[in-house]
Amino acid sequence: MENSDIHSLAEFCLKLVEKENSEIKYTDIFFEKSNYINIEIEENSIKNSETGEDNGFSIRVINKNGSLGFSYSNKLDRTTIEKICKIAIKMMKVATPDPDFKKLPGSFKNYPAVKGLFDKNLKYLQIEDSVDYINDLIKICKDDEMAISQSGNFASGYSKIYIFNSNGLNVSRKDTSCLISSNIIVKDKISNETSSGYERQVERRLDKINAIKVANLALEDAKRNLYRKKIKNMKVPVLLTPKGTISLILRPIAAAVNAETFQYKRSFLVGKRGQKIGSKFLNIEDNGLIDGAPGSKIFDDEGVPCKNKKIIEKGNFLKTGLLHNSYTAGKDGVQSTGNATRSSYVSIPSIGITNFNMKPGEMLSEEIIKDIKEGIFLDYTGDSPNISTGDFSGLILHGNLISNGEIKDPLNETMIGINLLDLFHKIDAVSKDYRVYGAFQAPYVRISSVNIIGGAN
Amino acid sequence: MEISDELKEIDENLINQLNRIANDKAEFWDIRAKVNNGTTLDFINQKSKEISSFEINSCGIRAFKNGGWGFSVLKDLKRESIKIGLQKAIKLARLSESLTKIKFKIAQNRPLIDEYKSSRKKNLEEIDIHDKINLVKNHEKIAANYSTYVKNTHTIYMDGRSQNLYLNSFGSNIIQDLSFLRLFCIVFTNKNGATQSSVNSVAGIGGYEIAETEKAINLSKKTAKEAVELLDAISPIGGKLTVIADSKLTGTIIHEAFGHACEADLVLNNESVLEGMIGEKVASEDVSIIDNPSMGQGQQFNLPYELFGCYYIDDEGIPSQKTKIIENGILKNYLHNLETSSRMKVPPNGHGRASASSERPQVRMGFTYLEPKDWNLEDIIEDTKEGILCEDFQYGYTDPTTGNFQFKCRISFKIKDGEKKEIMRDVSLSGMILEALNKISAIGNQKTFNYSVGMCGKGGQHVRVCDGAPYIRIEDMTVGGLN
Repeated sequence: MENSDIHSLAEFCLKLVEKENSEIKYTDIFFEKSNYINIEIEENSIKNSETGEDNGFSIRVINKNGSLGFSYSNKLDRTTIEKICKIAIKMMKVATPDPDFKKLPGSFKNYPAVKGLFDKNLKYLQIEDSVDYINDLIKICKDDEMAISQSGNFASGYSKIYIFNSNGLNVSRKDTSCLISSNIIVKDKISNETSSGYERQVERRLDKINAIKVANLALEDAKRNLYRKKIKNMKVPVLLTPKGTISLILRPIAAAVNAETFQYKRSFLVGKRGQKIGSKFLNIEDNGLIDGAPGSKIFDDEGVPCKNKKIIEKGNFLKTGLLHNSYTAGKDGVQSTGNATRSSYVSIPSIGITNFNMKPGEMLSEEIIKDIKEGIFLDYTGDSPNISTGDFSGLILHGNLISNGEIKDPLNETMIGINLLDLFHKIDAVSKDYRVYGAFQAPYVRISSVNIIGGAN
Repeated sequence: MEISDELKEIDENLINQLNRIANDKAEFWDIRAKVNNGTTLDFINQKSKEISSFEINSCGIRAFKNGGWGFSVLKDLKRESIKIGLQKAIKLARLSESLTKIKFKIAQNRPLIDEYKSSRKKNLEEIDIHDKINLVKNHEKIAANYSTYVKNTHTIYMDGRSQNLYLNSFGSNIIQDLSFLRLFCIVFTNKNGATQSSVNSVAGIGGYEIAETEKAINLSKKTAKEAVELLDAISPIGGKLTVIADSKLTGTIIHEAFGHACEADLVLNNESVLEGMIGEKVASEDVSIIDNPSMGQGQQFNLPYELFGCYYIDDEGIPSQKTKIIENGILKNYLHNLETSSRMKVPPNGHGRASASSERPQVRMGFTYLEPKDWNLEDIIEDTKEGILCEDFQYGYTDPTTGNFQFKCRISFKIKDGEKKEIMRDVSLSGMILEALNKISAIGNQKTFNYSVGMCGKGGQHVRVCDGAPYIRIEDMTVGGLN
C-alpha cells in the first residue's frame, strides 16, 4: 500500500465518521505497515528462517461526553474500512461518558530531530545476509568445552506508522530495529550439573550488532552460575548487576510513574511527589531523544513530540516526574509528555517509556565489588515487585556470593525480600560502567543491607 | 458448517497448485489460515475504558526440508499471496537446510479431513452489545459496592470467534471453528495506606452461556471479598515449612515446575532436567500426571461449556488426546509436536500449538493435571502440626535447566496444631522440582479436585491452557517473605 493510498483512506474515514454521527468530537486513525525477518537456532544449529509482513489500521472515535469507541482490522479494502468505522461509532454509542477525556492533540509545528532511528540496510536486509551473525553465535558455543547447547535468534524489523486525527494532525515515521539473542547451556562433564546464561542486544542500526560479544556474555553468565550452593540466612550488602538494576529499580519505577497507574492510586509512589524517595545516588530520566537508541521516537503513538524528562533527581521524586498520554494529561490538566504507546494498530494508546535511564556514578563496578567483604551479587530474578505496595520478595535465579571482594559460589534456592522504598534509600554506590538493554540503561547498584533467606537452614 | 467466504477461496484447485509448487522442493508443508473477530469491553471504576471490536485475517505457511524449516507470514488470504507465500517458505526452508547440522525427516502421518465446531448455546454474535455492557457494568457495581475499602475495580470482558483452516502436504484438510469468552475481575482495596488486590477469571470455549454460569456471576464478589480479606493479612516468616497447596496452586506447580520440563523441544535442546529420564522414578509413587486437552471434559466439572485449554486438533493437524506423563511416580512420556515426535521416533501426541497463525507451533501443554488420591482436606489440615495453607497464586516460574522454581501465593493461612489460623499475604515458595515431587506427603481426593484457566507464555507466544489438581501437602519447602 502506497503513501498516497493511506492518505486517501484516512481522509475517507475522517469524512465518513463526520457524516455518520454529528456527536463525534474527536477521531484518530492509526495505520501501520511492517515487515520482519527472523532466523532462529536451537541445539546450536540453524532451525528456522522466517519472514513476515502486516498491514493494519485502527480508528478511535470520541463524542462530546468523552465516550470512546475503538475498532481495527487488517483488511484494507474500502468495504471493510467503512464497516470498521461504523462499528467504532456503534461502540462509542454504548460506551459510558467520561468527563476526564479532555482532548486529542492538535497538529504540532515542530518535531525534534533524532538521528539513527532508521537504517536502510535493515529495511532492505535479506535473510541470507543475516546468517553471518548466527554463525558467530554458533561458533562461540561450539568452541567451548563446557557449552553443550544454545538457542537464540537474529531478527530485524521495519515499520512505518501514520497517525491522522480530526484536529488536523497528520504525521508519519519510519523505524528500524534489530536484535540478537543467545541462551547457552553449559554442563560439567563429571558432576552432570547444568546451567544456562542469557544475553541479548537490541539496536536501531545493523552495524552495531556484535554477535560474538553477546554469545560470550551468555557463556560467561552460564559458567558463573554453575556449581550452585544453598546458603544460610544473612543480612548483607547486595550488588545489583545491570539486569538486576532493571528488574528491581528501573522497571518498577517505570510502572509506578505511569500516570494511569498513578491516577488510579495503584502506585507505591502515590503521595510521594516532591519528596525524597531514595539516596542521592538515585537519578532517573526518560529520554526519547537519544540518537540511535532503541526506545527513541520523534513522536509518540498519538503524534505528540517526544522529549527528555527528569523523573528522579538525587533521590527526589520530581513533581513533574510522571509519564503521560493525552488522556491522563487532560485529566491532570497538564501537557502530554509524549509517552502514548501502542503495541501495534490493535491497541488503544496506553503509556510507556522511551529510554529509561539511571545515571551512572563514579566508581567502576570492580572497585565496588572489591569493597564488599561479604555480600550477594544479584543478576537475575524472575519475580517482580508489587507496584501498588512496593513490596518485593523473590527467588534469586542467577546470583552469587561475594566474599572478600570476589564473586564466588552461585546460589540455589536463595530468596530476597525488601520494600522498594527501603531499597532506594539504601543505595550507597552506583557504577560508572553501565549496560543498555533495549529501552533501559542500567549501571551496577549497591544496596547497603538486605535480608537474604537461604535454602540451607 | 458455514464456512467464511475468505476460507472458501482456498479450494481444491488452489491446493493442487500448491502441491505442484512444492513438488519435490519441500518434504513437508502446511498452511494455517484464520479468520477471526471479537469484542473487548474494558471497564475501570465503572467507566468504560475500551469498547472495541475487530476483524483480523492471518495466515502462516511452513515448509520443511531435511532439518530446515522455512516460515512465511502473510497479511491477507488471497490466492495469489498464498502461492507466493509457499514459494517463499520453500526458499527459506532450503536456506535453513543448507546451514543446519541437525538433519531429520518429518514422519508421515495419516491425512485427516474433517470439520469441527465447538457447541455454543448462545451465539456470541447474536447477543446485543448492550447486554454484554450491562453484564460488565453489573460486575463493576457489585465489586465497588462490596466494601468501603474497595478503591479500584477493573473488569474485562473478551469474546471471539475464529475459523481456522489447516492444510498440509500429507493431504490433511481440517476446519476448526471455535468461540471463546473470557471474563476478568481485578479489585484493589486500601486500608490505612496499605493496598491489596485480588484477581480472578472465568474462561471457556463456548457461547455467551459461559458468562451466565454461577462461577461467572459470582466472580466480582469473590474477587472483592478476597481483596478485602487480604487487608488484614500479615507478611509471612521465611524458612523451611510444610505447605498445603489448594488445587489452583498445585495445578500451577504441576504446570510450571513440571509440565514445561516434559516439553520435548526443551528436552532436545538440553534445557530440561528430565532429559533421558523416561522410565525412571521421578516422583513419589502416589504421583500420576496426565495431559488431556480433548474436548468433552467440561461436563466433568458441571460446566455447560468446554475447558479453555482444550481443542479438537492441534496446530499441526494432530487430534488432541490423553497422554500419561507420570504414572505412579515413573516418567512415561514427553509432550510432542510433529518435529520432536519424528526425531524421537514416537507417535505425535497433539501438543504442537501456536498462539496465532503468524507464529510457529511449539510444544505446549493443554489440560495438565495431577490425579487425585484419597485424603480429605480436613484430614490433611488436622494431620499438619505446623505449616502454611496456600490458596491461589499470583505468578510462578521455573528454570527448566536447573529445576529451581518459585511461586507467589495470593492467600495463605498459618496452620498450627492441625488448625487453620491467621491469614497471610505474598507467601513465596521455592524449591527444586525433582526434590519437591518426592516430598509430597498427602494427595487429596476427588472432592478436592478442581481446575483453573490461564494463558501460558513460552518464547513470546501465549496459548490458552488449563491445569487441575487436588489439594496436596509438600514437606520442607523454602518459604520466603519480607520478614
